[in-house]
Amino acid sequence: MKLLRIFPLVLILLGAVMLSERPAYGYTDPGTGLLAIQAAGSALVATGWYLRRKLHAFFQNREQTEHNPAEQTGILNTEDPPRV
Amino acid sequence: MNRLVDFSSTHSKTASADCSLEATFRDPAGQLRLTEDCALRQIRPAAWEETQAFLASPLCNALEQSGDLIASKIARPDDHACIADGELWLEHPRVDPISYPWEWTTAQWRAAAELTLRVASQAVAAGWALKDATPLNILFAGPRPVLVDVLSFERRDPRVTVWLAYGQFVRTFLLPLVAAKYLSWPLQAMLFTRDGYEPGDIYKALPRRQRINPALFDVVTLATLLERRGQKADEAKKMPSASDPDLAAHILQKRITRLGKQIRHAAGSPNRSQWSNYTQLAHHYQPGDTEQKQRFVREALERCRPAEVLDIGANTGSYSRIAAETGAKVVALDSDAAALEALWEMAALEDLAVTALVANIARPTPAAGWRNREQLSLLDRLTGKFDLVLMLAVIHHLILREQLPLKHIAELSASLTRRWLLVEWVPPSDPMYQEWLRGRDELYGHLTEDDLQRAFLPFFAVAERLELSNRRVLLLLERTAEQTDATFDADNPHCEAQPLDKAGAA
Repeated sequence: MKLLRIFPLVLILLGAVMLSERPAYGYTDPGTGLLAIQAAGSALVATGWYLRRKLHAFFQNREQTEHNPAEQTGILNTEDPPRV
Repeated sequence: MNRLVDFSSTHSKTASADCSLEATFRDPAGQLRLTEDCALRQIRPAAWEETQAFLASPLCNALEQSGDLIASKIARPDDHACIADGELWLEHPRVDPISYPWEWTTAQWRAAAELTLRVASQAVAAGWALKDATPLNILFAGPRPVLVDVLSFERRDPRVTVWLAYGQFVRTFLLPLVAAKYLSWPLQAMLFTRDGYEPGDIYKALPRRQRINPALFDVVTLATLLERRGQKADEAKKMPSASDPDLAAHILQKRITRLGKQIRHAAGSPNRSQWSNYTQLAHHYQPGDTEQKQRFVREALERCRPAEVLDIGANTGSYSRIAAETGAKVVALDSDAAALEALWEMAALEDLAVTALVANIARPTPAAGWRNREQLSLLDRLTGKFDLVLMLAVIHHLILREQLPLKHIAELSASLTRRWLLVEWVPPSDPMYQEWLRGRDELYGHLTEDDLQRAFLPFFAVAERLELSNRRVLLLLERTAEQTDATFDADNPHCEAQPLDKAGAA
C-alpha cells in the first residue's frame, strides 16, 4: 500500500525530469532522435532511481522497527533524551 | 626549436605553400598543429580559463597517470617559433604513426570506444563532461588507445541529464560497429564520413527483425522514429534536467553503462579468415624451416638493432613479436583484418610495442578530410620512418595478386626503410605461389631469385642470405648510399634489364 502512496510522487518526478529544461552549449550535433531517446531514457532511469530509494527506505524502516521493539511498544531507553 | 612538419613534398603540387598540418580546426576552443617532435595545441582566449582549470584538476592528473589521456604541458614560446607573445599553447608528445579509425580492427574499435566511455564516466563523477566523443580523438600508442584531445573536457551543468556528445558517440562508434556486424558494411568505409552514420541510415538497411533487437531498438529504431525534421533552432538548445544533481549524475552514468553494453554486443566475437589461422595451417612450412626462419630473423634484428621496424604483411604477428622482443617499436601492416585482430590482441595482452594497421601496401590508405589535408595518407606517415622493413612472404602476393613489377616493389621498399630490408623470396615452385599463379605461367612462372636481386640491387646490397629446405630464400639487404635509376625492360616489366651484380650476394 505504501508503494501506491508514492506513485503520485513518481509521476511528479517524471514530470520534473521531462519538463525541466536548461540551455545547452555544445559544438557537436546532438541529433534530434538521439536527443529524444536520452530524454525518454532519463525519465525511465529517474523512475527506477526514485523507486529504489523508496523501497530501500521502506525496508530500512521495517528492519529498524523489528530490531528496536522498544520503539514499537513505546518504551523509551532511559538514556534517551526526553521527547519534547 | 621545433619546426612545423612540412608535408609539401608528399602532397600534391596544388597545395598551398604553407603545408604545415593543421590536424584539427573545428573545435572553437583551439586547434592542433603537428611538429616533428611534438603536437602543439593553441587554446583560444575564450577557453583559457576552462582549459587551465581542467589541467589543474585531479581528473586530468588521474587520466594522465593511467595513460588514458595524452600528457600536456604549457608550451614555451622560446621553444616554438609559431607561438606569439600572449598566446596559450599546449605541448603534447607525438604518437607515431597516426592510426585512423578506418585502419583499425573491430577489437581496436571496441578498445577505443571503451576508453572513451571510461573517460566519460570518470569525467561525470568529477563534475566534468566529454563535449565530443569520436574515434578521431583516439590514437593507438602501440596496442594501447589514448585520448589525445585535451579540449574535449568541459565543466558539466550538475543538473543536466543529457550527454551532448551521446549522439556523436552513437553515430561514430556504435553505429559503424552495428553496421559491420549486421550489414557487413566495412569499418574501413568510415574513411568517407566524418560524423559516422545517422540512425536512419542503419534503420533503412536493417532486416525487420533486427529493428526490434533490444540492443539496437533505442539507438536505431526509436531514434529514427523520434527524428524530427524542420526543428526550430531554439528547441534544440533546451536540455532536459533533473532537480537533484545526484540523480542527474546517476542518469548519465547509467547511459554510459548502457552504451558500454551495446558496444560489447556490436563488437562481437573475433572474426576468422583464411589468413587468421595461416601460421597454424602453414603446411608448406616444415617445423624445421619455421625455426630456421625465426632464428634468421631474430639474429638479423639483433645484429641490426633497429629502433623502428615496419612489418608488411604481418599476418598474426609472429615476426612483429620477435622484433618487439628485440627492443624495436613495430608498425604491423596487413590487409586481413581478422589476422591483424589476432596480432593486436596478442600485442595488447603481452604489452608489446606494436601498432597494428589494417592497410594494403599495394593500395595504401589515401589522404582524407578537408582539402585532403586533415588526415594523412598511409605513405605520408610511413615513408622514411623505419630502420628495418620486414617483407616476409609478401612479395609473391604483390606480384601475383596486385600484378606489381619487381622494380616498383623495390622502389617502394627503398623509400620506406632508412637502412635495412629483410625479404623472403617465394619461388614459383612453392605451393603458395602456384595457388595464385592461376595459369599465368608465361608472365610470372619464370621469375627467379636472380630477378628479385636485379630489381633490388640498385637500391640495396645483400648482407646475408639463407635458403630454407622448402627453397624459399631469406635476404637481409642493406640500403646503398645512392640509388641508381634502373633501366626498364619494356618487354617484361616484371624483370630488370640490368645485369645481376652478384658481388654483394652471400
